[in-house]
Amino acid sequence: MRRTRPALALLAVTALLVTAACDGVADPAPPPPAIAEATAAPPPAAAPDTACNPRASLRPVGALPAPARLPAGSQMAKIRQNGKLVLGTSQDTLLFSSRNPFSGQIEGFDVDLGRQIAEAIFGDPNKLQIRVVPRPERTNWVRDGKVDLVISTMSATCARWKDVDFSTVYLETGQKVLVAENSLVKSIDDLDRQKVCAAAGSTSLENIAKEPGKPIPVAKASFGECLVAFQQNEVVAISTDETILAGLKAQDPYAKIVGPRFTQEPYAVAISKDHPEFTRFVNQVLDRARADGTWAAIYTKWLGTAPKPPAAQYR
Amino acid sequence: MTIALAQRPATDPPPRVSVLRRFGQLRQTSPGRLQLLLVTLLVLSVLTGLVAGLTATSAATGTADLRDRAQPLLVEAETVYSALADADTTAAQAFLAGGLEPVRLTERYEADLARATTALTSAAQRTPEGSEAASAVQALAAGTARYAALVATARAVNRQGLPVGASYLATASELNRETLQPQAKALLQFAEREVRTGYEEARSSWWLILLLVLIVALVIALLRTQTYLSATTRRTFNIPLVAATALTAMLVLTCWAVFSNQRDNLGYAESDGSAPIAALTDVRILVLRERADEALTLAARSGAGPHEEDFQAARQMLTFDDPALDDVGELMDQARDQHERYVQLHEEIRAKDDGGDYDGAVELAVGQTTSSAFQVLTATIDDAMADRKGVFETHIQAAGWGFGTLIILGPLLALAVGVLAVFGLRPRLEEYR
Repeated sequence: MRRTRPALALLAVTALLVTAACDGVADPAPPPPAIAEATAAPPPAAAPDTACNPRASLRPVGALPAPARLPAGSQMAKIRQNGKLVLGTSQDTLLFSSRNPFSGQIEGFDVDLGRQIAEAIFGDPNKLQIRVVPRPERTNWVRDGKVDLVISTMSATCARWKDVDFSTVYLETGQKVLVAENSLVKSIDDLDRQKVCAAAGSTSLENIAKEPGKPIPVAKASFGECLVAFQQNEVVAISTDETILAGLKAQDPYAKIVGPRFTQEPYAVAISKDHPEFTRFVNQVLDRARADGTWAAIYTKWLGTAPKPPAAQYR
Repeated sequence: MTIALAQRPATDPPPRVSVLRRFGQLRQTSPGRLQLLLVTLLVLSVLTGLVAGLTATSAATGTADLRDRAQPLLVEAETVYSALADADTTAAQAFLAGGLEPVRLTERYEADLARATTALTSAAQRTPEGSEAASAVQALAAGTARYAALVATARAVNRQGLPVGASYLATASELNRETLQPQAKALLQFAEREVRTGYEEARSSWWLILLLVLIVALVIALLRTQTYLSATTRRTFNIPLVAATALTAMLVLTCWAVFSNQRDNLGYAESDGSAPIAALTDVRILVLRERADEALTLAARSGAGPHEEDFQAARQMLTFDDPALDDVGELMDQARDQHERYVQLHEEIRAKDDGGDYDGAVELAVGQTTSSAFQVLTATIDDAMADRKGVFETHIQAAGWGFGTLIILGPLLALAVGVLAVFGLRPRLEEYR
């Protein structure tokens, strides 16, 4: 495919048919979905923002209120009034939030976590409205109130903390590399000047660009489309969080995941800075899930034997 | 003899200027004047015959090119464009429907693809080699093959229940909308330009002006010769020259009949055929764009976004009142109502989706109600298109009337005029020998 003119790119990027992958699409800024010459990397990132502890969230006050007794005037009460919790997520990240081709429903770890929060607000885990957020738009949609929260394999970073609040970490993972079964590549270091795919607007894409061996980052609208590019031999590898790669590998018996984790990705729920009480509430829900085994049950359902859940850290 | 021999060095070799001078001197003597008139008549009749034949050939070729190449190319380009857009919409709807792809949608997609590839094959024969259009056709053929492969993979993968099937469809859709449709649009624009120049070439205006000038000159020359002869001889009428004048009049009448018939019919073909077809093409592509935007908005599952904006933009641009469409006014009135009905349904779909009832919105969008509302609309546009294609065919056939005869008769008549001129003037010339 050729490189597209910006106007077309905008149209098309947004166009994503199907899947429509959660990602990428609606942002005029993201790099065009280059396949061949791929230089769609994000601007060279400045030195990593380490001015904060991205894992430390807002400390909850008191115990988790019952659904009927949500504090008046709080964001939770307002959501309850709206009738549905609007969850922003993706629809093509297998195991976390992907569309089940048989039922057309979106399901996965992230969605089940959303259901826990809906259950805490409504007493009914199904009062959930899913909106697919283009990956580069995640923080904007939370900030602008287009969704109540985003749970979408989103890493808490100091840069993102400037725009949104994050809950405590619900999953710790890190970036690895997916290559062909017969490949000799052992880690990201063996991919110098080779094409490596990641979704536009993801931290994974920025991380690829930061590698000293200068692999060529190729931006696609979603990780699903990265898998298409990989299967069509347009890229030699896909690099992102191990958990997402596991979902991709599950769909391609000729793929393998290699290398050590070369980044740390703490997944957390993104919530608007306007509603700190909601963030504290979500932290209470997460704490309860860690304690009563719900977290482990969800983990086992989607990802296999559950480890110890990541401990909550507070400011 | 000896005198002649002795004199020869005096006159030979004649200096070059004397050719012109001798030509001028011809006017001083009566036989000279007759010779001049004869030469003028001969030259004019030969030229008229030649130009009449060439003009008729050029107009006939132009008309045939318009009929057999330019206009069909336009129709094919439109088919490629709309078939690709429709395939994209259909694939998106099949995805939305979830589970096993509905048979109705599979068949529609297959039919779209078949229409696109068939139209491309014949378009390839109508585009000049090495032209921009020929490369667009080649790129489209290659791209369509790749598109079909991606959709086929998506289906196979969907059957295994893997989410990457959706990504294959997304990649295919991106290829369709970003690359193939712009190429189809470029081909369509090329074909539109070809049709415009096709009409110009069919009218052969420059040839016709030249022919007119020559015929006027021939008539003047004939009349001048006859007035000269009746003034210098005792006979009022020179029968062969009168006959030549009559033949010239016949030539004029024939040309007038053939060319004015052609111009009238070309005019009708353009105003009642090509122009409404072009307007209908715009209408069809805009409504297809609306339907695709609707499906893509739902597939993106992100609420009203850029595709919904595009829907509204297309709706703004859409008009059923183009003056070119007056002749299919009734059908357009129907289409306007049908489109209103479809837009109402679309607003309902948006209201459901925006209100959080995503499943209800999808059900309404791919369900029978909206599908048939949209189908009757496209069927009406198809009817109008077929009607105007028929009108174009009729007039373009009629425009070609008489050229076959004129190509032969024109030069023959002119030749006869020349021969008659010789018959008319030679006896007068011989009187001076």
